[in-house]
Amino acid sequence: MIAYVIRRLFTGVVLLLVVSLATFVIFFVVPRLAGASPDTLASRYVGKAPTPQAVQAVKERLGLDDPLIVQYGRFVKGIVAGNEYKAGNDVVLCNTPCFGYSFRNSVEVWPQLMDRLPVTASLAAGAALLWLLAGVSIGVVSALRRGSFFDRLGMTTALAGVSLPVFFTGLVSLALFSYYWEIFPAGGSYTPITENPGLWAYSLVLPWCTLAFLYAAMYARLTRAGMLDTMNEDYIRTARAKGLREGAVVTRHGLRAALTPIVTIFGLDLGLMLGGAVLTESTFGLPGMGKLAVDAIRGSDLPIVLGVTMFTAFFVVIANIIVDLLYAVIDPRVRLG
Amino acid sequence: MTATAAGAVVLALGLAACGGGGGGGGDEGAEAGFNAAVGGIVNKDDKPTGGELKFAMSDDIESTDPGDTYYAYNWDFTRNWARTVLAFRNEPGAAGNELTPDLAEGMGTPSEGGKVWTYKLKQGIKFEDGTPVTAKDVKYAIARSNFSDELQKGPKYFQQYLDAGDYKGPYKDKNLDNFTGIETPDDHTLVFKLKEPFGEFDYLMTIPQTAPVPADKDTGLEYTKHPVSTGPYEFQGDYAPGKGFTLVKNENWDAATDPLRKQMVDKITFQGGQDAQDIDNRLASGDLHIDLAGTGVQAAKKTQILADPSVKKQADNPTTSFLRFFNISTKVAPFDNKACREAVQLAADKVAIQTAWGGPTGGEIATNAMPTTLPGYKRIDPYATPGHKGDVAKAKAKLAECGQPNGFKTNISTRSDRPKEVQAATALQQALAKVGIQASIKDYPSSTYTNEQAGAPSFVKKEELGIMLYGWGPDWPTGFGFFSQISDGRAIKPSGNSNLAELDDPRINDALDKAASSTDQAEREKLYQQIDGWVMESATLLPFVNEKTLLYRPPSLTNMFIHEGYHMYNFTSIGVKP
Amino acid sequence: MTGLEQGVSATLTAPLDVTGTAGEVTPEATLSGAERAIQGRSLGQIAWMRLRRDRVAIAGGIVVILLILMAIFAPLIVRVIGHPPNEWHQEMIDPTLSTAKGVFGGVSLDFLFGVEPLNGRDLFSRVVYGARVSILVGFGATLLSVVIGTFFGVVAGFFGGWVDSVISRVMDVFLAFPLLLFAMSLAGVIPDNAFGLTGDGLRIAILIFVIGFFNWPYVGRIIRGQTLSLREREFVDAARSLGARNGYILRKELLPNLVAPILVYATLLIPTNILFEAALAFLGVGVAPPTATWGGMLSSAVPFYSVAPNFMLAPGLAIFVTVLAFNLLGDGLRDALDPRAR
Repeated sequence: MIAYVIRRLFTGVVLLLVVSLATFVIFFVVPRLAGASPDTLASRYVGKAPTPQAVQAVKERLGLDDPLIVQYGRFVKGIVAGNEYKAGNDVVLCNTPCFGYSFRNSVEVWPQLMDRLPVTASLAAGAALLWLLAGVSIGVVSALRRGSFFDRLGMTTALAGVSLPVFFTGLVSLALFSYYWEIFPAGGSYTPITENPGLWAYSLVLPWCTLAFLYAAMYARLTRAGMLDTMNEDYIRTARAKGLREGAVVTRHGLRAALTPIVTIFGLDLGLMLGGAVLTESTFGLPGMGKLAVDAIRGSDLPIVLGVTMFTAFFVVIANIIVDLLYAVIDPRVRLG
Repeated sequence: MTATAAGAVVLALGLAACGGGGGGGGDEGAEAGFNAAVGGIVNKDDKPTGGELKFAMSDDIESTDPGDTYYAYNWDFTRNWARTVLAFRNEPGAAGNELTPDLAEGMGTPSEGGKVWTYKLKQGIKFEDGTPVTAKDVKYAIARSNFSDELQKGPKYFQQYLDAGDYKGPYKDKNLDNFTGIETPDDHTLVFKLKEPFGEFDYLMTIPQTAPVPADKDTGLEYTKHPVSTGPYEFQGDYAPGKGFTLVKNENWDAATDPLRKQMVDKITFQGGQDAQDIDNRLASGDLHIDLAGTGVQAAKKTQILADPSVKKQADNPTTSFLRFFNISTKVAPFDNKACREAVQLAADKVAIQTAWGGPTGGEIATNAMPTTLPGYKRIDPYATPGHKGDVAKAKAKLAECGQPNGFKTNISTRSDRPKEVQAATALQQALAKVGIQASIKDYPSSTYTNEQAGAPSFVKKEELGIMLYGWGPDWPTGFGFFSQISDGRAIKPSGNSNLAELDDPRINDALDKAASSTDQAEREKLYQQIDGWVMESATLLPFVNEKTLLYRPPSLTNMFIHEGYHMYNFTSIGVKP
Repeated sequence: MTGLEQGVSATLTAPLDVTGTAGEVTPEATLSGAERAIQGRSLGQIAWMRLRRDRVAIAGGIVVILLILMAIFAPLIVRVIGHPPNEWHQEMIDPTLSTAKGVFGGVSLDFLFGVEPLNGRDLFSRVVYGARVSILVGFGATLLSVVIGTFFGVVAGFFGGWVDSVISRVMDVFLAFPLLLFAMSLAGVIPDNAFGLTGDGLRIAILIFVIGFFNWPYVGRIIRGQTLSLREREFVDAARSLGARNGYILRKELLPNLVAPILVYATLLIPTNILFEAALAFLGVGVAPPTATWGGMLSSAVPFYSVAPNFMLAPGLAIFVTVLAFNLLGDGLRDALDPRAR
């Protein structure tokens, strides 16, 4: 068990390195291949007065003249051991884990990520709760009453749900609930839960529902398919033949097996979402990780983009490990090892 | 310098509320109407109101460090904690473009024909900790903001004009005496030594970079966390970038030395990263007082303002000094032929572009290269067409003249993340199609536009960017502040170029030199008019709008007026009625 | 599904095989090509029979065909019913408010979906033209994903061992990527002139590459699973015992049996990719203006959602109808080819 976790953590670290390397390649190697020199890269981070001296200074400060491998090494070292940065009269110490400083505003990346995390976490947690409850229960009921009116209605709605882009649903719900009926606030009015829990929930209702609609639809379809599959299995027939009550058959045998793939996907989805629900945050103007990343990509602010992608990959790794541990609980056939 | 939505800058400052508040709708009690704060003061009241004045913005503030900023809104706001050597008058109307002493006792005294400028500082001005401000603190501030590698966001005019040898800045060279561009014979005298005479040097004294910085409190890039105040407000504790901040009253600020500002409220707060639509809603509900960006309301609010008179009277629609234009390259065929450039000038439908830019409240149609707000502006329209809608026949005649009677193919470059600019480029594309010019739109990110694409002449030539969309606002309100970067042939740079058309006309270059060295304002204004004419004559610049913004003014605020130096509300001396 | 379940199903039937006929059909697969063609037809016939009975899926299929025709004949349609997609009609725009005159964003017989704020472009024409980019990218990216995914899926499943481990880990890495961010970054750093292409052609090629490249593991995983189970089947053992080489078994035995799942998942991947393209365009990565795309139109519609709702509804509903149609068809195909999946 412990060996298993350690092994998973190790592969997780490898995964994180790969993700960071890929991000780094996209921002620094691909442009180089496309003909950009360290000078043109540096000129992206100079303010509105790109004098040659300024470009030179930025190049030195960001170390853009160093070989790519050295630049990448510096980034990895920062995460593990922290880094020192020159900031004029002071030398600033950036503690572990140090993701460096934004190329744009010279603000440390880590606190910026920590700033945005609560927003994204609030969004993800609320939406996940909604879609798990709605999606799984609709899926189960639909499977058990296959062909019924409920099944048809549920599955039609679910199909519509997976066919609607979240930024469109978001806009329509904003137009209806915020502009015409004035029930919920317009986009962007996020209040931290620590400040006012009521307002926090109120301001997130629309984003939660928008996001949950999409995912609930996917989960309802998955759950239904999984349930139908398992309920056809021999062991279910056996259980029934043994004279178990239908309720017990469904919950103890059917649901258990049908839930395993759902749990895997849920882990992955939640992990990815903690790294930013890019489209939902953009549509509702929520200052979360996704919006931070999109803005950073637009400004070629590599340290921030790296920070967000690493963060996301980290959550996915953790979520996967937790999911695998949960497996053993849900599905008795699975043994870790 | 360029064209960011918030605008390049024009500076200013002035007499808070107390200044000659002529103009309409300013009387207390009278109902303030639409545009009441343009040229007048709304709710003029010098009695402190107490309370909290709340600013917010969709981005984070560029910088709180007076030495490290370049945006007009930031320069306007910075005046709450940073006093500069000179300032703009704090008054509505054209007076906002006039200079007045702030830290200094009087205006600069030029000698050696404008090559040396001397300023005397007032006695009794203190930092927030009570230490007296000396000339050395000003010198240090200019040294760090213009000569260090770390502070990169602000302009570098002092580096450009001061005769400072190869001084490396105070972080590399700890001995301030090695900075020979400024001399401080005593604690209250500043002597600036220039490489060449410069008649408009006084304007540079309004840049926040001349706000004193105590060397022992300077932490380089970290100074932004708590810039040491000389103004009526100071930072409460350390500010964590991205988190917003609170300003409280500065007990060591003495109103007697500062006729420009007032302590009207108890504290001022700022929140960055707020959603733009949400800001509009909160301004209306009174939860927020001012959008720091000063770029105007979003589409939904705009419709509401223009459709509902009771909302409209709470709005102002000032004209900014920002000119939006297309540059037509002199280096990309067939535009190396002037007649082809003129064909574009004549084909353009400026009404279509204006409507796409947001209609009359988004900008007024421009016919000059020079913005309407600059002193000495005189309207010319060398490419007049009926109703500004373009003239297909005349344009075709010009095409024939340049040997392209059937039109040709070219490209229009624009910034992909600026919807208005994409619209404007598409509008021109439509108009050009009518005369047979097939233009493709090339869109690039604004973060690289000036440094790698439109502002890199080699790229322009390689990709054949015949027409490039751009915008410019002067860094100070004179023709020199406007034309020196975008029309001087010697300002063409391999990267970060702002003279996109690569216009190099000896007449213009000479006139700019003459204007720079002249200390006679009337003569300078005449030169700027000539330059304006020559730029238009070259057909390299196709102006379409002088940008306007639509701003919402909450009724609870006192002493509200549009400051002509910044083209947005004056951010000092505002009170909040309970 | 868990490994155990897959094992069970593999010994009984190949997941997408047709129960009942499987016993007699599969052995023939080892025989000559002509007979295999007959078998393919019969399998196809059975599936087609099932699909024909599924009216919803047929409706989806018809809509898909109509959409493809609409994309191909966009210029013709627009000439008859609308106005050129990039033509400005500012006479339809209120000059003060910059929004359309008339009801609901200027909806009229002349402008079926109304006009765009600011410039008065015909929304109907733009929606019709927008189908071109969406469908082109949707199909192109899917093709790429399927090619890469099938190759690695088959290789991993067939050879197993360390090859399988490596490929599976790579797929895991892809699945842990914030795809949208990566696609955005990558599409943003590629210059305007590359690979001998420029303008819209290049942008579309980049979109196809980026979307197709990041989505292949979804295909790869499924194909790997299918290959794993097929590998253990009797007819493969039979071929092997007759001395067939790996290449032969791959080409002649495995691939034909993978056609059905590939077809099903490709049909289901197309709508996903169309949504991906729309999302990228919404975030500002896409073809250059003024070319119309649905995602790009939605992105421009954001500031106007309250004052010009038709601007967002037109492209939004277009995406919805298209994606829904593909999903219906894909679901129907899957049910027809694999009754167990019901």
